Amino acid sequence: MDRILIVDDEANIRLLYSQELADEGYRVDTAGTIAEALEHLSANSYSVVLLDIKLKNESGLDLLQKLVKERRDMAVILSTAFSCYKDDFSAWLADSYVVKSSDMQELKDEIKRLILRKKSR
Amino acid sequence: MAYECCWFNPERNPLDCPNIEEGEEYLYASPRKRFVEKCIDCDAFERDMCRLPNDDPFSSIIKILREEYRDQKSHLISLSSFLSSKSREIKFLHELSVVLQTSMELDEVLSVAMTAITSGKGFGMNRAFLLMTDREREYLVGHIGVGPKNYEEAWQIWDDVDRSNFSLKELSRDFFKSKISLEKAKFQDVLEKLTVSRKDENHIFNRALKERRPILVENAFTNPEVDPKIAEALGVGRFLIMPLISRNRSIGILLADNFVTNKQISPRDMESLQTFAFPVAFAIERASLYERLQVEVEKKTRMNQQLQEQQDLIVRMEKMAVVGKVTSSIAHSIRNPLVAIGGYARSLLKSDNLEKKKEYLEFILNEARHLDEVLGEVISYSDTVYPIMDWWDVNQLAIALVGDMKDELADMGVTAEFCFSPDMPQAWLDYKQISYCLKTIINHILQSQPTATRIELKTWVDGGRIILCVSDNGISISSEMKTALITPFMETEAMGSGVGLPLCRMILERHGSAFTIEDRSDGGTSYSIILENKRGE
Repeated sequence: MDRILIVDDEANIRLLYSQELADEGYRVDTAGTIAEALEHLSANSYSVVLLDIKLKNESGLDLLQKLVKERRDMAVILSTAFSCYKDDFSAWLADSYVVKSSDMQELKDEIKRLILRKKSR
Repeated sequence: MAYECCWFNPERNPLDCPNIEEGEEYLYASPRKRFVEKCIDCDAFERDMCRLPNDDPFSSIIKILREEYRDQKSHLISLSSFLSSKSREIKFLHELSVVLQTSMELDEVLSVAMTAITSGKGFGMNRAFLLMTDREREYLVGHIGVGPKNYEEAWQIWDDVDRSNFSLKELSRDFFKSKISLEKAKFQDVLEKLTVSRKDENHIFNRALKERRPILVENAFTNPEVDPKIAEALGVGRFLIMPLISRNRSIGILLADNFVTNKQISPRDMESLQTFAFPVAFAIERASLYERLQVEVEKKTRMNQQLQEQQDLIVRMEKMAVVGKVTSSIAHSIRNPLVAIGGYARSLLKSDNLEKKKEYLEFILNEARHLDEVLGEVISYSDTVYPIMDWWDVNQLAIALVGDMKDELADMGVTAEFCFSPDMPQAWLDYKQISYCLKTIINHILQSQPTATRIELKTWVDGGRIILCVSDNGISISSEMKTALITPFMETEAMGSGVGLPLCRMILERHGSAFTIEDRSDGGTSYSIILENKRGE
């Protein structure tokens, strides 16, 4: 079973995503801060990390840089309400970028695509 | 002895006097005046004088007196003529200087000056040329020439002038309006040849400027002091060089000649022209400076206009940047609840589990409430643009606000205490906005300090300022957090929409006041609104 880590400071969003993705057959963990995310990452192996950029007083882009340096075999999807982050060069390090939407089909498709890509390598 | 004089002859009528002319009729009534003005020069009187006996002592005395009288009379007439000529000259120069003083445009000044030199009503020279020192002061450059180019043209011009019967002022105005460009073009070839380097100290033009005196050039074609090219360009043997100097600055030189009539240029002409040269030099310098000033003013005006346009553009861009930032912040604040609402609504549609449905509906309601708060803050933000200022009692404002929030305080188990300074002066503020700031601070404490059980509202006067301080007994916050709390649109744990406390600071800045967040020595945090105790501009 593919394992996904959701990093988002909004509790309701975390819960929504985890339920939806669990329904899709994934094993899901959630983190509200970078510290929590790092704990999960050190303990488990994930196929995809769904990362919110704006995390209260932290930036998801800082975590992204760490992930890219240390775990290249893991796909990272940036998820945010801010479309302007597409202009931030560090956001280009991510494997994919999804603007938050109540319709999660795009997010689900993207996760599926990235997992398939990883497996085909 | 028979005398010829009429006053010895009763038969002769004074009306028959051949010396009294029209307009001198008053002499008929006064024999005394008639004798002094007419008889003394009359041939009949002279002949009568010769008839006097030689041995008569009065005969020689009368002859001496008569001759002396005639000499004095002749001298008086000459003086009178000189006086009237000088009077005319002074009147002319006065009129001229009045016109020059009121002329600010260089071409207008030149029109007056050149017309005065060349017209019969002025100095009556046939031609005049003006050479001006260039801006770099390296050359005397031919600027304008006025007068006929040949004999035919001369008669034509003078005939026109005679018929027009214009005054000097009218002539110069006519010249300025309709002839100056033509005259400049007409003598262009001559003017180019007259241009001289200022470094050539031996050149007669530079000498006139250096010695600051007019020079009358005679026999120009053979005169060793005159550059043959200049003589050839002017085509005349005699001309006058008049330096134009204003406040020790060499403005240029005037050349004048009688190219057509070949009339002599007398020392008196030179003297008059020299008197005329002073106001002309001054007027030319002033007009040149005015012209340069106008160019500079136009340049500065253009630059100022460009600067203004740039400033407007920057202001517009800044406004757009702020709008972009605000819009982005609001979009973020709205999108998260919307995603949750939409997501849970979809889950509701799919799920058959009643418990789950209830849970989802709770989430949706929570997020709708969140959206409501965001909207309230956005409206508050737009209200800050138009503050309604007045004098208010800060203590009363705080009491009223805490009264409005008593339910929220009770829900969180927090008590409010007042510690107000007595005799507080009124403060100049927008009641709604300061109430909003106070409410936002208290809300922030309630949301971010779950361990706080008490808030204290304190007021006091510090110099010219009124302090309204809200403090809690919760845990202290980090300095980074304090900065984040008052940085516009920087989202924090406590302020979901990222508008609240930064907005307080913006409102207070508009009041000319300040907002500070400090640690309390006994734990907790103090939030101070510092109001100026005076009416703002």
